[in-house]
Amino acid sequence: MERVKEPLIHITKREPMPLWKSLLIRFGAVVIALVVSAIFISASSPRDRGFFDYFGSLFSGAFGTERRFWLLLQNTALLLCVALALVVAFKMKFWNLGGNGQVLMGCLACAMCMYYLGGKWPDPAVWLLMFVASLLAGAVWAVIPAIFKAFFNTNESLFTLMMNYVALCLVEFFIAHWYPTGTGAMPPLTDANLPTFGPGQAGRSLPVILVAVIVTALIYCYLRFSKHGYEISLIGDSKNTARYAGINVKKVVIRTLIFSGLLCGLVGFLLVGSVNHMVSSSMDGNMGFTGIMVAWMGKFDPLIMSGISFFIIFLERGMAQVCTDFGFTSEALSDIVVGLIYFFFIGCEFFIVYKVHFNFRKRHGRKEPEFSMGAGAEQGGTQPPALPPEPDALPAEGNGQTEQAPEAVPELPDLPETPPGNKKAGGRKQRTKKEEN
Amino acid sequence: MAAFLASAISFGVIFLFGCVGEILTEKSGHLNLGIPGIMCMGAAGGCFGVKIYVMGTETPNGALTVILGILFAMIFAGALGAIYAFLTVSLRCNQNVTGLACTIFGVGFTSFFINNVVMTEGVSAKLSLAGRNFFNAHIPGAENLGWFGTIFCSHGTLVYLGIAIAIAAAIVLRYTKVGLNLRAVGENPATADAVGINVTGYKYTAITVGAAIAGLGGLCYVMGYMNGIVGSTVDQTIQGIGWLSIALVIFTLWKPALAILGSIVFGALYILSSYITGISFEQIPLLNLIPYVVTILVLIVTSIVGHRETQPPASLGLSYFREDR
Repeated sequence: MERVKEPLIHITKREPMPLWKSLLIRFGAVVIALVVSAIFISASSPRDRGFFDYFGSLFSGAFGTERRFWLLLQNTALLLCVALALVVAFKMKFWNLGGNGQVLMGCLACAMCMYYLGGKWPDPAVWLLMFVASLLAGAVWAVIPAIFKAFFNTNESLFTLMMNYVALCLVEFFIAHWYPTGTGAMPPLTDANLPTFGPGQAGRSLPVILVAVIVTALIYCYLRFSKHGYEISLIGDSKNTARYAGINVKKVVIRTLIFSGLLCGLVGFLLVGSVNHMVSSSMDGNMGFTGIMVAWMGKFDPLIMSGISFFIIFLERGMAQVCTDFGFTSEALSDIVVGLIYFFFIGCEFFIVYKVHFNFRKRHGRKEPEFSMGAGAEQGGTQPPALPPEPDALPAEGNGQTEQAPEAVPELPDLPETPPGNKKAGGRKQRTKKEEN
Repeated sequence: MAAFLASAISFGVIFLFGCVGEILTEKSGHLNLGIPGIMCMGAAGGCFGVKIYVMGTETPNGALTVILGILFAMIFAGALGAIYAFLTVSLRCNQNVTGLACTIFGVGFTSFFINNVVMTEGVSAKLSLAGRNFFNAHIPGAENLGWFGTIFCSHGTLVYLGIAIAIAAAIVLRYTKVGLNLRAVGENPATADAVGINVTGYKYTAITVGAAIAGLGGLCYVMGYMNGIVGSTVDQTIQGIGWLSIALVIFTLWKPALAILGSIVFGALYILSSYITGISFEQIPLLNLIPYVVTILVLIVTSIVGHRETQPPASLGLSYFREDR
């Protein structure tokens, strides 16, 4: 049996993996990322701080005081709302990268109502108007790219990105217009602030958190149980199938983006009306981008997404404390650590979808099917991409594969028919599940 | 007017670097939304390289300073590009998400790195000296050539380097076998694979080289256009420039030669607000809107016209897995 040139590493798609195992892989990736960041930060710190102080600072920054805890929950709620707004669009593969701009427009509309009408109209009337205006502004900002996407197939990711900057410039314009002598900053407005639930940070944060809980439940039901949700996921899977099933794709795209924009506007309403009482050009806090990562890492599932956004905000809040404790002047440290987490988290998807076969152990025989299953099972547990699998990981991890074994057996007779050197051999295996992009 | 055009060119080259880098990347079928972060990395790396040299010697050599800046910018940016390439080519992750992660990481890293590592005591004066004297050293005698000298000969090294790279990229893509193969990989990787083109190799090379070129854009902004004056919000500015560079790719229809022209137009639009006299403080943001609005209009027009020649590479944004059917 001549083997001219067999690649050392051979990659095939694997059968859908049990949930616990995929969660384990993701968890492992996050742990590795955290350890890497801890080593990096404690090594580069100008102060004498050790590896474990890092985790101490991280937790104290996020949970240290009651105020920090409420801020953590509040920011989680805001980020989750943005991510939920984006997820309805992502489910149909509409890359709405304009979350920042939509939130900013919501902020701006809300601040306009407060600036022009606060103190002149009764508060409840202004509140109502703020609510309506913010949601509308967000929706308008989202629906413009959607209309062009629906009718002309305009590249929506770049369109929404540019809309971010248009929103940013508009906010700067209005701040300069209202406070011409200022430094581009707006003082908090005292009129028409949204009511709080009692004193302290808890009272200020609770309304935001409540809204987020309600929105999460609504989106969960909307995507899961409503006809709209079904249409959205069908379009995401295949536009042609959706069309064939009689769905008006254009209508659904526009309708979904209105919905997405409304939710972003709602976040703007909360940010200005309830949290900050003013608007600034960086008020979106880059939540549009972070929200995308949350939606992606949460597999478009609102419940997992709430966990992910909690984790991201936990890191952001915690890293602020790490910066202070470790003697760094730049707050951007959290972006680095969060970025590392993203890299590892995104990268580990590979090991969930694909199997890696190492060919150096089967030079002589052609027992590829048995080996490949074993190799795949081993690889599932190991994280770093370059590492060869540990042979002793086989028994423990192999259990998860047991229910897949019967499905794989009928493929065995197929394989010997293909030339051994043919790299396309793996392609002969039936693959029912397409890669989800 | 001549001064305005000269500024437009020297600012436009920043876009040009990012745009040419992104064109190379997209020609291999990868939409790299990490370009803003990668350009930031270039700025961070370039400043770092220049810093360690000018702080180490009493009388720094001009040419060496520029070369070191370019080298470090390319290494830093190329490194982030390589991470992107590894994640999207080898691990076949979603390109949009990976790109955004690169941007978040790159911008954060740059902000951190510049404020904590590069800008230590006494560096800013030396950096601005290096920027003014070395990176922006004029061609001798340019002052005597009137408007021609101002527009074409008054620029620093990086401007000419940018235009040279754009022309070289245009020639490679259009007239060489390497370019043909690269375009084949971007159009249909399965077919390219079938004729024996090393798809993975081409993708890695195109993405990493593209990232390194884009990184020069960051260097060009900090050391070239800003004369080595490193503000604390430099990462935010470069991020905005980076997004525009990606949009410029569509504006210039994936053609590096056209990108030279397009980037000068964008540069002119970008600096317009500081050259129009008699505008008030509050109108500046409205003028800053123009490049973004123009980009949106171009996006709409190219999508409506929808000519065959103006389409992106066919497999842009799709991961290639050989065993897929």
